[in-house]
Amino acid sequence: MSEPPREPVRYVEADLALPYHYVAGDYRARYLRALADKRILGSRCRKTGKVFVPPVVVAPDVFEPADEFVEVADRGVVTTFCIVNIPVYGRDIEIPYVAASVALDGADLSIFALVREVEPEEVRMGMRVEAVWKPDGERRGDYTDIQYFRPTGEPDAPPETFLHRL
Amino acid sequence: MDRLRNVAVVAFSQAPVVACDEHRTAHEMLYPQVASALEQCGVRRDDIDYQVAGSADYIDGRPFGFVQALDYIGSWPPREDLHLEMDAAFAAYYAWLRMQSGDCDTALVVGYGKTSEGEPERVLNLQLDPYYQAPLGLGPTATAALQASAYMARTGRTDRDLAERASRRRTDGARNPFAQVRVGATPEELLATPWLVEPLREGYVPPVGESAVCLVLAAEGKAERMCEKPVWIHGVGQRVELQTLGSRDLTRSESAATAARDALGMAGLPSAREVDVVELCAANPVEEMILCDALEIEGDGRQPVVNPSGGPLVGHPLMMSGLLRLGEIFLQLSGRNRTHAVVGAERGIAHATQGHCLQHNLVWVLGTERRWT
Repeated sequence: MSEPPREPVRYVEADLALPYHYVAGDYRARYLRALADKRILGSRCRKTGKVFVPPVVVAPDVFEPADEFVEVADRGVVTTFCIVNIPVYGRDIEIPYVAASVALDGADLSIFALVREVEPEEVRMGMRVEAVWKPDGERRGDYTDIQYFRPTGEPDAPPETFLHRL
Repeated sequence: MDRLRNVAVVAFSQAPVVACDEHRTAHEMLYPQVASALEQCGVRRDDIDYQVAGSADYIDGRPFGFVQALDYIGSWPPREDLHLEMDAAFAAYYAWLRMQSGDCDTALVVGYGKTSEGEPERVLNLQLDPYYQAPLGLGPTATAALQASAYMARTGRTDRDLAERASRRRTDGARNPFAQVRVGATPEELLATPWLVEPLREGYVPPVGESAVCLVLAAEGKAERMCEKPVWIHGVGQRVELQTLGSRDLTRSESAATAARDALGMAGLPSAREVDVVELCAANPVEEMILCDALEIEGDGRQPVVNPSGGPLVGHPLMMSGLLRLGEIFLQLSGRNRTHAVVGAERGIAHATQGHCLQHNLVWVLGTERRWT
């Protein structure tokens, strides 16, 4: 028998690589491909008519298929937001910046978006914003095709038009 | 409580097992199965009291994937929900326990996993202990091969014995429209396939598969209204053994034997030979032999039909292969099986397992008659 180690073993390092190969799914693939053409797709619920962006297979509130594809506008309203003052690992945006929920015109739920070209303290619920797309030829059909949203300068939307679309 | 509550399987829906569904995410595969199972028992989503899912985020590689799945299981109106990082057969066991406690009457059990998106051999390595065995890089095929060689050494079973048993399952599986491998194979053909890890050949180990499964459980009173021919749970038992492979006799499954004794005792049956059909969650012919030994169902005299669906050898979708066994027994006993039916079957056993080398075993005994009156 060998001597026990003088220093007790306190931890074991075991590196492990878990590679993945994602499938976006038919609905998500259509959504992403449309972004390359500056189009934003949603899907409409058969029962309630609600439009989900990005498109979903099933409307979770009524558990019915949402399988009619519709195009929504690339502009909408800030429903809620927060000002980020802490740098997030892997995200090289200068702080402070604004992370917002934007309900696009024609959509019944909001998407997460970055709001720029405005001082963070000036962002407010109800502010009208529009997408800033990557230039033609640079869009590849992924989430970065919309770089961020910026204010349109239109009058604010009244709360009752977006409070149920947070 | 003076007696256990009668609980039945009232609906079951499964997607065919495929190597890779390129057009749908795991959650999207699940939705049609949940919708179909609810339709079968003629209830709406809000008639279900409880829901429980078996899946593993490591399989899909999507953090908190089980939360995302809620939309596809039906999340409104809110209800109690549980998620297990286990085969969904164990999720069904949880649901059964909850129903015994009396605080729910109906439960939805789902299993899903997009196995093709990850590498199961690497993911399942994480089920081993992190100090001594996982760092060796062992995957489930390697540990199954260790078990197989130990079993063959003890019992004298040969390569040909394994080939013959695998060939029977391949022949059975050719009739199962939901199986992934639907081509029969002779023992000679299987003996000619290359070693995957000796003594397991490629022909003895199922390919990686994925599917989505939904099963509905209901307690007496409701079950009869939800299904014309509910299949009642007569008994259930589950036991787990030590994780460390060197600490147990890999050539026997003490936990499967004990779980089966518990389940049969609860069902009031003296032996597993009293049932007509058995579905074992055996991923290779040696696991099937070990389980048949544990349940004492082979040899002379009356024997149940084993794995008429072909079993996991013709389609082994991770996280739901065990629940598929329960669903198969439901289809057999409720007379819904049209392709590989065991005619006149009235009692059956469904088995599920977790971990390497049959570490954790769950045994269900089911029947067409209500157990407790």
